[in-house]
Amino acid sequence: MSALASVSRLGARLGLNARTLRRQPMVWVGGGLMLVQVLLALGAPVLAPYDPLAQDILARLQGPSGAHWLGTDQFGRDVLSRIIYGYRSSLAIAASAVAIALVIGGFLGVIAAVKGGWIDRIVMRLMDILFAFPIILLAIGIIAILGPGPVTTSVAIGVVYIPIFARLLRGPTLVIAASEYVAGARAIGAGTSRIIVSHILPNLISVILVQASLSLSTAILVEASLSFLGIGTQPPDPSLGRMLAEARGYLLLSPWDSIFSGAAILLVSFGFNLFGDGLRDALDPRLRGSD
Amino acid sequence: MTLISKFLSSGAVGALVLATGVGAAAQSLEIATDASPVGLDPHVATAFSTILVNGPIYEGLTGIAADLSVIPVLAEDWSVSDDGLTLTFDLRDGVTFHDGSAMTAEDVIGSIERVLDPETGSPYASRIAAIGGLEAPDDDTVVMTLTQPSAALLSQLAYVRIVPSDLAEDVDLQRQPVGTGPFAFAEWVPDTYIGLTAFDGYWEDGLPLVEGIRFNIVPEASTRQVGLSTGTYHMLPNVDSATALTLQGTPGVALLETADLAYSLIGMNVSEPPFDDPAMRRAVNTAIDRDQLVQAVYFGQGQPGGPLSPSLENWALPVSDFDCYSGGAEAAQAILAEAGYAEPVAFTIKALGTVQTVVDAAQVVQAQLNAAGFDVTLEVQEQGTFVQDWRNSNFQAFASLNGGNPDPDGYLYRTFRTGGSTNVFLYSNEEVDALLDEGQAETDMDARYDIYADLQRMLACEGPIAHLAYGTLYTAVSDTVTGYEMVGDRSTSYLRQTGLE
Amino acid sequence: MARYLAIRLSDLAIVLFGVSVIAFLMIRLIPGDAVEIMLGANAEVTDEQIALLRTRLGLDEPAISQYFAWIGDLFRGDLGTSLWTGVPVTQEIGGRIWVTLELSLLALLLSVVLAVPAGCAMAYFRSSAADYVIRVITIAGVTVPNFWLGALLIFLFFALFPSFPSVGWVDFSVDPLGNLARLLLPTIALAVPVLATLSRIARSAMLDSLGQDYIRTARSKGVSERAVVFKHALRNALIPFVTALGISAGYLFGGAIVVEQVFALPGLGRLMIGAIAERNYPLVQASILLVTATFVFINFLIDLAYAALDPRISLR
Repeated sequence: MSALASVSRLGARLGLNARTLRRQPMVWVGGGLMLVQVLLALGAPVLAPYDPLAQDILARLQGPSGAHWLGTDQFGRDVLSRIIYGYRSSLAIAASAVAIALVIGGFLGVIAAVKGGWIDRIVMRLMDILFAFPIILLAIGIIAILGPGPVTTSVAIGVVYIPIFARLLRGPTLVIAASEYVAGARAIGAGTSRIIVSHILPNLISVILVQASLSLSTAILVEASLSFLGIGTQPPDPSLGRMLAEARGYLLLSPWDSIFSGAAILLVSFGFNLFGDGLRDALDPRLRGSD
Repeated sequence: MTLISKFLSSGAVGALVLATGVGAAAQSLEIATDASPVGLDPHVATAFSTILVNGPIYEGLTGIAADLSVIPVLAEDWSVSDDGLTLTFDLRDGVTFHDGSAMTAEDVIGSIERVLDPETGSPYASRIAAIGGLEAPDDDTVVMTLTQPSAALLSQLAYVRIVPSDLAEDVDLQRQPVGTGPFAFAEWVPDTYIGLTAFDGYWEDGLPLVEGIRFNIVPEASTRQVGLSTGTYHMLPNVDSATALTLQGTPGVALLETADLAYSLIGMNVSEPPFDDPAMRRAVNTAIDRDQLVQAVYFGQGQPGGPLSPSLENWALPVSDFDCYSGGAEAAQAILAEAGYAEPVAFTIKALGTVQTVVDAAQVVQAQLNAAGFDVTLEVQEQGTFVQDWRNSNFQAFASLNGGNPDPDGYLYRTFRTGGSTNVFLYSNEEVDALLDEGQAETDMDARYDIYADLQRMLACEGPIAHLAYGTLYTAVSDTVTGYEMVGDRSTSYLRQTGLE
Repeated sequence: MARYLAIRLSDLAIVLFGVSVIAFLMIRLIPGDAVEIMLGANAEVTDEQIALLRTRLGLDEPAISQYFAWIGDLFRGDLGTSLWTGVPVTQEIGGRIWVTLELSLLALLLSVVLAVPAGCAMAYFRSSAADYVIRVITIAGVTVPNFWLGALLIFLFFALFPSFPSVGWVDFSVDPLGNLARLLLPTIALAVPVLATLSRIARSAMLDSLGQDYIRTARSKGVSERAVVFKHALRNALIPFVTALGISAGYLFGGAIVVEQVFALPGLGRLMIGAIAERNYPLVQASILLVTATFVFINFLIDLAYAALDPRISLR
């Protein structure tokens, strides 16, 4: 099955077609931004003009120039190369965090809705407990316990995002599970897991897609905030948040590194958010521009 | 236009600038610093942040001057017996504590005993361990008997702050300092500021010169810099070269500097591979290019150093005496090859994350070592985690900043002696131990010099610490600030004579 | 309704219990304790000395008994005393919470004042160029890292108005103008993401409202367009919008943690970050509990309001 065919089948399932999407320039612009930055991340070793870790003290803290398009940092490392590699770690952390939250949170939300009763209550109270903590605070605590690093940062962000997905998926699952269509499937003897896999999940894809891209957008910001507070990824690895955290001590001396690495965070977070927002509109007939 | 956007328009901003551009209380010295102290007991809390705040609150029998010489403070004068075993201190008259009581010989003895008492848990106890007996023939005299002559004792006594011996039950020095210094503790708003007020009863007439001091805790470097430039703060004490470089040439800002006794270092755990092998330690020392590191981390403002700070001019050997300080990556690889290491040697450096120069130095060292056939991973830790791992020798290597000491024994003994109180490297070398014991008891200057010269040579290349560099320490002040001088041990005792024009 | 209320109240108790356990455990699971922080790196002390210092701070009791002692005191209204200052935790928090509240309320005010018109405009001119422009701007607002924005604002103001007091803190009661001046930049940095979020909510609430039958009816009856939008549609859109304000309480506090750090404001966020870094257990526990309980309680009230308005919920 070709990728194109599977995309269009997915599109059909979501109720999307070329016509509705054409009316959503935000999906295209956001998607384009996303794609460019993901490609930069994937192609980092080929695309980065310099080794992101190579220090050149004599060329430190420079502004943009022909040799270094976005200038250099406090060790004379090339900012552009570090940003390109930074996309790699920031996106990897955000993506694995969202994956953790989606799988665990989604599972909990769907199970809670389908099973109902005391399972529902226990699961949702656990989610309430996690949800009660300010995101940053809980993430700080988890990382402080597990020790800093990219893996623990993904785990921490993933854990704080679990209740978001659990709550988000529980609602629609309740509606679907109560539908005649599922009642019918049950009547012909379909088991719970079969109902979940073949009847409930497909109907949740649109919600998941939208929330996943919005969550990716915010997860990147959370990673940046954690790095800003001195935890998160470890030097010398250039994650975007780490770069900004290191650059800000030199803000008055040479603002370029701060400006560019902050702008890179903004741009990647912006791309995912634009895409998710546009997609939500495209999927929600109520918000579509009506004729 | 909404109310808010009206407010935002430049007119309103301009008015606010006019209304509030100048600091409110001109006669209080506003200091901005990065870290909040954790406990203020001068005998127990030893973090840099505590030393900073306690500087103008407490005094010792002696003091360390800006040129690192020992000066009389609460002791006006002292004499040493011929055998070096008895010290007689003549206490200054008219000294009172902030609680109003007069300082007597009893308080001095009480303070020293408090430091020596194991119940106190004072890190300074080992520095004055030579004290065997204390007597007060009268209120103004203290006689110390030593178990062995100690050349370092006079300078170490500067760190034993004198507190009242009859502290009220409800006074906890951790929270409410009571000293004899020019400023008395007033209030502590955690992570915001610590306020001091001028002490009326200070023993030196005419001092202090300002009404109070506020130590503002400002975590962001650029915020501190802007605050100093805009006149919100008067002083940024003990800042690094990057901050100094940023503020250089700012109108209204002056920079003071001194050689820092504190040094950046890579500590190695010699109880386990890879650093149980002296060749490995030599290879690390050889691979590190200290000149480059000084350029990168200290912006050229500092100097490579060995076990003793170059500012201890009477003691420190020039780094050219250490053969492992030149050579670079190739020489290091040759050492590794000769010792039989074929694969890149992998290890982790745990870095103290609260000090920017440490994190920077660790990154530079990592790059240098990786170029010389090592495979170094960095782990930047926050203070609590770092200290715990440090204390439990739970590291292969660490990067940190250690406070220095004006006397060689004060640093070397506790660090390198088998079982020494800060020998977390688990280093043990009989020859080194013997020399350290000898150096402690020797009072003849030339003999003492030779002992410490030998020790420096032995420790520089194959000891458990790769000493990196001694930075230049800066204090950035508004040009209205007068009279302040820096001390390389980071003490802020000169605040007593600091004024505002 | 009574049964619904009972269930919700018991849920509330369960959540608060869970939060207290996590708050208590979290800070204790972090390596290093207060004594080690106090001594700093490179202090010359033995293990026995450390143990003594721990006993003195009450850190040597088993965790379980510490937890129950804490909860017991809590019910007597005693949240403990701060390890370092010896000041009751309630007093410590009380002295700081006003800074965070002032900052948050100013940011909320700024957000609401700008978000409502922006949301209305987007909804009314839906799918037009204006809609897209404002939406793109608001999305950029949501995704701007607020600490970066804060640092750039300080930098910018320093360059443009060198004598503007952009950092530090003066209490409102001491110098009201100085207080507001110092809060100007932090308020902007904190408000931008909230403003952006709220204007998007306002937009969809307005869209919803404009699509209702009675709006069509009003239009067809010849009610002026102005009256349709401002009198009818806006009033209805305000209900979901106001409930969204409750949720932004969480956003605001999370953002305040970082913004207070950048601008050196003595608020609750910095108190908590500092207390975690210093392992000030009583202070961390109490302030986390306070913040989470407030958040849980606000949402509880919102749920109750919903239930009161929509009888179907209580049947669920």
